[in-house]
Amino acid sequence: MFKKILISNRGEIAIRVARACKELGISTVGIYSTIDKKSLHIRFMDETIWIGDSPAISSYLNIYTIIKAAKQTKCDAIHPGYGFLAENEKFAKACEDAGIIFIGPSSKALSLVGDKVASRNTVKKVGVPIIPGMAMITKDIKKFKQAAKDVGYPVIIKASMGGGGKGMRVVYNEKELEKSIAAGQREALSAFGDESVYLEKYIEQPRHIEFQVLRDNFGNCIHLFERECSIQRRHQKIIEETPSPALDNNLRMKMGKAAKKVIDASNYTTAGTVEFLLDKNKKFYFLEVNARIQVEHPITEMVTGVDLVRQQILIAAGEKLTIKQDQIKQNGHAIETRIYAEDPDNDFVPSPGKILFLSEPNGPGIRVDSGIYQGCDIPPHYDPILSKLIVWSENRKMSIVRISETLKEYIILGIKTNIGYLKRIIDSKNFASGNYDTHFIDEHEEKLQPKKEKLDIALIAGALNKSLVISKRAKEYDSQYSQKTTPWQELGKWEICGQ
Amino acid sequence: MEYKFNFLEKTHKINLEKADDLFKVIINDKQEYNISDVEVESNLISFKADDKLYIIYCFSYKDKTHLSIDGENYILEKDKTSKAKTGKQQKGNSVFSPMPGLLVKIPVSVGDKVKSGTTLAIVEAMKMQNELPSPRDGIVKKINGKEGEQVDALQVIVELE
Repeated sequence: MFKKILISNRGEIAIRVARACKELGISTVGIYSTIDKKSLHIRFMDETIWIGDSPAISSYLNIYTIIKAAKQTKCDAIHPGYGFLAENEKFAKACEDAGIIFIGPSSKALSLVGDKVASRNTVKKVGVPIIPGMAMITKDIKKFKQAAKDVGYPVIIKASMGGGGKGMRVVYNEKELEKSIAAGQREALSAFGDESVYLEKYIEQPRHIEFQVLRDNFGNCIHLFERECSIQRRHQKIIEETPSPALDNNLRMKMGKAAKKVIDASNYTTAGTVEFLLDKNKKFYFLEVNARIQVEHPITEMVTGVDLVRQQILIAAGEKLTIKQDQIKQNGHAIETRIYAEDPDNDFVPSPGKILFLSEPNGPGIRVDSGIYQGCDIPPHYDPILSKLIVWSENRKMSIVRISETLKEYIILGIKTNIGYLKRIIDSKNFASGNYDTHFIDEHEEKLQPKKEKLDIALIAGALNKSLVISKRAKEYDSQYSQKTTPWQELGKWEICGQ
Repeated sequence: MEYKFNFLEKTHKINLEKADDLFKVIINDKQEYNISDVEVESNLISFKADDKLYIIYCFSYKDKTHLSIDGENYILEKDKTSKAKTGKQQKGNSVFSPMPGLLVKIPVSVGDKVKSGTTLAIVEAMKMQNELPSPRDGIVKKINGKEGEQVDALQVIVELE
């Protein structure tokens, strides 16, 4: 077993990992950038090391300094958390070269997972469905027409060098095809300097469903069921739940088996996630593998009772996976909401600043994985995630009620957060119905606007606060000073003498 | 007392009027509320508005008042066009002390005719004197308290006929 682990991350995930280490009797080394000197995660570590200036590129992304810090403190292993260097094959390789264990897959497995075309081919080979589409780039309109016919309309034109929706065109019939290809090419050329486009089947009303997997160095592999992650803003998940309301047991088992196949085929170890898209006819397609502990891992822990970070560390230390597939059961229902320092009413712009007041919820079935404290400064340099609120209850209906009530108790004053926005989603009929897809936020933009129905109450409170808090302070001041006489007064009347 | 806050680029006016144990609040000269059971404890304010209880977290910092009500946050900004001073003219038939302090001066007597804005009392706290102006033209009906006495917050000092 490891003696000492360097946690190369910050915020709530660094704290989550530190807790797992402590429970395993492993010492922890925390790292921090200049601006993170007073961050919460530092307080959870046995040792801390400054690793550079505030920008991530000089600190949390600086492979050389982090490896140096790990060597200097004689760490056996590095846990990368999520984000930053978590899926960086160069970092994994640097760890391997330094004789330090990278808690994650090998650099070789990482390079395979990172290459989208290679992983698509690997997955296809083991019989897991991928989104059907063209296998190569062409400008021949006849080939586009044939491919569209093969996969069936609607199809989507995508820029081969692209991303972020640029060059994308959804086409519903052959009549529109030629025009859309031309438009896609023009857009791709101006955005990426390359006009190549290709065609893929367009998945309508897709749901984003992922499976949690654990695999040890001896080839033992289990899945821990799914997480439904379709509530996304700007392609980033903000609410996750498990079990998914879209899966029945039959489909769940099929997808679980497929997830294990993908992980086996890529010779992947420790904790990973296989992402799928599920179309409206309940057909699923492989999307990608996430080679890290995920932000949303707690909901799986809540329903399966398995500590995923602990398992991840044990596997990395070379232990055999002792949990068998048939021991994993889904018990009850869990939901996670990600609390971000951002303004949902203003295009989700980040909202760094000082947390003036903080009160975090507590109670049965409530878990808060938090990286903040009252008085802390949220720096503008990193991801705006503050914490995660996770609830568990016997069933989906009760979990929804619980998280809605609990969000009310999550008080963060001083910066803007998405708490109210999350509550509006949770309270919406469409979320309650369970019948939603990745377009949820775009389609319901209007309904998710702040109602501000309690503005009058806020104004009354503001006025009362101004009038009463000021008078209260005055009272305290008075009782402190006004009744007492000063030593000078006790000495009697004084007169100033001299000139 | 009158307060002004800016919220989402709109100015809102709140009139806070003390009547016995209640406050009468008028928002933007339209919406009226009866406020009772007001408690203030550091960052927590609770009150009943038309008999419904609200418990609100609140923090004032610089020119902003941050509030959280049932999961929704509100940030009220100080209205820069007006000075929200405690000595501002109150509404109704009486003046009350906005804060606990020392009753320094009562420049009027019962039966005096006063004009709107005439100083009816001066209260001192934290080395700051507050002149309490008459809310309207009228005749002084009753004076509660003497010069040199301590007064509580919200204690009615001068009543008009």
